[in-house]
Amino acid sequence: MLQVQFYSLLRLLLKQEKLELPAVAEETVEQLLSRVQQQIATPFLQKLIDCDGQLHAGTIILINRQNIHHLDGLQSRVLDGDVIAFFPPGAGG
Amino acid sequence: MAFHPRYARQLLQWGEEKQQRIESGVVLVAGLGGLGALVGQLLARAGVGKLYLLDDGYVDWPDLNRQLLYAEEDVGSSKLMLACDRLFRINSTTEIVPLSGRLDESFRPPDDATLVADCLDNYRSRFLLERAISKKNYLVHAGVQGEEGQVLTLQKGASQTLAAIFSGVQQPAGEIPVTGSAAAVVAGLMSNELLAVLGGEPKLLNRCLVISLSDFHISFLDV
Repeated sequence: MLQVQFYSLLRLLLKQEKLELPAVAEETVEQLLSRVQQQIATPFLQKLIDCDGQLHAGTIILINRQNIHHLDGLQSRVLDGDVIAFFPPGAGG
Repeated sequence: MAFHPRYARQLLQWGEEKQQRIESGVVLVAGLGGLGALVGQLLARAGVGKLYLLDDGYVDWPDLNRQLLYAEEDVGSSKLMLACDRLFRINSTTEIVPLSGRLDESFRPPDDATLVADCLDNYRSRFLLERAISKKNYLVHAGVQGEEGQVLTLQKGASQTLAAIFSGVQQPAGEIPVTGSAAAVVAGLMSNELLAVLGGEPKLLNRCLVISLSDFHISFLDV
């Protein structure tokens, strides 16, 4: 299984903190996001990815604590047992 | 050991050993805005031995909803100078040291500041600050936006860097919305963690506390 976690404004938007999905072989973060979108009534993909398929700069995505910018970005693979977190951090101080 | 009566109530909570650690603690508070103005105050009230303060800004009207050290008559004045004066008047036994100048590539924290409070308001400055910290020293980061915020402790050299965790995040364009209560809650939680680090027991090491005032929700994100 994959554990998908939403934090802060994303959690509020989706009215959901966690989601468990069965792992799919060779799946990327981008494909996982499409699958998550099918499970959740609230449209949210446009909040994360722009029309060019690029990740918006307001949210970090961590796979097992590691930012996908240090992996293969949205093409990073997710494996059975992975924890994938979506977090838009507060920027001000 | 005899402690000043100003600490009587907190001694009942955390005891003499932690109070001693706090009184021998040295903290750099970077940023004296919504977070730093309260964090500096709470650390001084707790009896931290020495506080270095860093901010090159001036008080403006939009600051007054959340920057609890400042008042109307302070608009236009240096936050650094005001904070030094106010914190000294709150606790004259805490050594208050102003660090003037900008936080840029040449910035180096004082050697004895083994704990750094990132109360800054933008990622660029945060990453510059983090880079300047010496190995093994602790960084307590906090950020606030709207009614949401986060607090996270990292140890330089042992933890992931803040720059790695927040890689790809850009500063939002324009003014960031912040409420006074959200800034105060996040600053209070951050101060609690700073005092926990000084006491030798960080609670949020590699563990980001994520706070939503919008629905009174708290969660943890391991990093």
